[in-house]
Amino acid sequence: MKNYQTLKILDLFRKLFEGFEIDYPTMRRMIQVKLTMDGRRPTTIMSQNMGGEKKKDANQFLKSLWFYAFIGLTLIPILFIGDNFMFKMSLIFGVLMFLIMTAMISDFSSVLLDVRDQTVIGTRPVDSRTISAARAIHVTIYLLFLTAAIVVVPLIVGVVQFGVIFGLLFVVTVLFSDLFIVAITALLYYVILKFFGGERLRDIINYVQIGLSFTIVVGYQVLARAFEFQGIEASFEPAWWNIFLPPVWFGAPFAVILNGASGVYDYLFIALALLIPILALWIYLSLLPTFEKNLLKLMDQSGPSKKKTKKGISRLATLLTTSKEEHAFYQFAERMLKNERDLKLKIYPSLGFAIIFPFVFLYNGYSAGQSFESITSGRMYLTIYASMMMIPGIVIMLQYSSKSKGSWIYHVTPIKHYGVIIKGTLKAFLTRLFAPVFIVISILYGLLFGIRIIPDLLIVLLIAIIYSVICFRILKGTLPFSQPFESAGQSDGWKTIPFALLIPVFGGIHFALTYLPFGTWAYLFILLLIVPLTWQKGLQR
Amino acid sequence: MNHGPSKVLSLKGLTKWYGEKLVLDHIDLDVYEGQIIGYIGPNGAGKSTTVKIMLGLETSYSGEVEIFDQNIKKSGVAYKKRIGYVPEAADLYDSLTAREYLTFTGELYGLTADAADYKARLLMSVFELEEVYDARISSYSKGMKQKVLLISSLLHNPDILFLDEPINGLDANSVMVFKEILAQLAAQGKTIFYSSHIMEVVQKISSRILLLNDGKIVADGSFEQLREKNKEGSLEEIFNQLTGFNEHQHLAEDFVQIVQREQL
Repeated sequence: MKNYQTLKILDLFRKLFEGFEIDYPTMRRMIQVKLTMDGRRPTTIMSQNMGGEKKKDANQFLKSLWFYAFIGLTLIPILFIGDNFMFKMSLIFGVLMFLIMTAMISDFSSVLLDVRDQTVIGTRPVDSRTISAARAIHVTIYLLFLTAAIVVVPLIVGVVQFGVIFGLLFVVTVLFSDLFIVAITALLYYVILKFFGGERLRDIINYVQIGLSFTIVVGYQVLARAFEFQGIEASFEPAWWNIFLPPVWFGAPFAVILNGASGVYDYLFIALALLIPILALWIYLSLLPTFEKNLLKLMDQSGPSKKKTKKGISRLATLLTTSKEEHAFYQFAERMLKNERDLKLKIYPSLGFAIIFPFVFLYNGYSAGQSFESITSGRMYLTIYASMMMIPGIVIMLQYSSKSKGSWIYHVTPIKHYGVIIKGTLKAFLTRLFAPVFIVISILYGLLFGIRIIPDLLIVLLIAIIYSVICFRILKGTLPFSQPFESAGQSDGWKTIPFALLIPVFGGIHFALTYLPFGTWAYLFILLLIVPLTWQKGLQR
Repeated sequence: MNHGPSKVLSLKGLTKWYGEKLVLDHIDLDVYEGQIIGYIGPNGAGKSTTVKIMLGLETSYSGEVEIFDQNIKKSGVAYKKRIGYVPEAADLYDSLTAREYLTFTGELYGLTADAADYKARLLMSVFELEEVYDARISSYSKGMKQKVLLISSLLHNPDILFLDEPINGLDANSVMVFKEILAQLAAQGKTIFYSSHIMEVVQKISSRILLLNDGKIVADGSFEQLREKNKEGSLEEIFNQLTGFNEHQHLAEDFVQIVQREQL
């Protein structure tokens, strides 16, 4: 096991720990083990961007820091918005605290909530004081690395631009905001664990992870456009309701010291920025024993079993499927997509993009100088094809599962054609994942462009069905949910490219046909004939 | 009992509530060195709760728990140095290698890293696991993990051993080695708490059997004593009788009948 540099720094404080009657060598050893395990744990950010690259012994955690550093660059343009420090620093702290909090929840909760600690360490002769100290130091190390990665470049830029005082102020306020985040996150867990079970907490963590993956990609978009904001002259007067915005508290010290602001609110916010983190930490520490007890709830996997099969949905399943076997696989795939957290983590962010991308294209058209009227009366509704860009990527994910070993069930059951497995899964994918996205965009587009586009939307829907069948060819007959996520490779991304290139082709055909009289109606009619055909021929193995 | 085996563990009026539910109901128990105690009972009878209390994982209970003549509520954690534990749900840090994990747990017990490493390697090689010593535990089979847990519980040569379903996933040969290890450890005066649902094994290895039902000890004695008292042939039957379970035939009939049903 590596002797981390961090631990050597920690050694300098050895006497301090021993002063608190902490068994220093044991604590150091526990942190060393934890750091080693962190290095081997894939983080949300990395697994999203690296496509589950084969694990080498490279430190996964340190690698993920580069990404956070990159995201931290979004803070720099904000530094140059006007002269009002209250405004820009509140904005910076807003972004910063959001990033750190979501990163804490998505990547570090498995550490905070590791119940194995109970059996592995709790049963050994280690006193609780040392265990708590080790945990606290571990969280601190993680947080400091994370914060440093995000903040370091903006900090340097800030010091160059605004001087050393700004730098000092920034470091101190960032540390206090970190303190605030830790305490708030822990209290959040405490409340959830107290009122709900462990399963619910895992669900919430899962949704935060999905949100983080989504926000980060959207963040790239913002980064690209952030420089456009530069001209904005921001006026910002503190108001009473700002009390409920913690980032504003942390902006106040800058306003007072660098802008010379001296309102009542400014001082109030400074007081909050100093006191609330300390207060929250104090509450957390005094709740710690009950928290640890509630943590045991995580050990029993059983949540209250909720049995609600909606009548409508199960009728839909019967309506859409043609055989008993297909029905079974439809329902199976539907449940997997709904329940498997790792799968959701990979798929749901893409669904978010699928909704957003058509509007991004639409906006680009708008900002390219077209008038609103000319857009709504034109053919820009074809940007809805952009929502199909996510299909190949999602289809590729459908072959994976974190419990892929369960796929023996396909082989021991007397299924005549494996085609039904794929058909069932494909139908579940279309109804559960694609349909909601499509319906949302259709409604919005219907409002924008009017009911005249209904036949076009139907065409897009049919094309999407055909396109999904085509995309299933990427899998080359690999059965759904049968591969472990670890086997997902970089090549997956490349494989989708030829399929993605089909989308503009479809869009182009559609576009051309709208110029022919009755072109859309004829196209719709032909597609109605083709769809059943592709469905029959396209999915044979 | 001046020259008899000395008492290593004693529970006095141990009672534990989970909310409204009484899990342990005034348990009194003395355990002496050299005993292999088969600790059995239906699911939810309170077996693992008892073990968790003795290991200090569960601290809210009433009654007294004395281990090596010291009340564990007052004595601090030092008594755990003389205890080894194999948890039921193979809970371990499986992203570590066996070397890393065993050295770590050894150090928690106060061994030096080198001593723990040396001993762990030797023990691993006895189980013919030397080649995977530096491989991550996540790549191990269930039986291999179980062996790592067993080594980790014994590395520091403890005086009391708590084993929860320890032979889960072991093959028949390994089980034989394992049983022999337990017998030899007991012969040297170690005390073993063996909790399992496999009655045949418990019947064979235990010198004393404790049957827990609804938070109470309903039987305590050697297998022969229990057999005399309950007039049943095997531990399994004694278990069924004392836990008031006599409908296995009935339930089995129902089950098979449902299996054979054609349609609803």
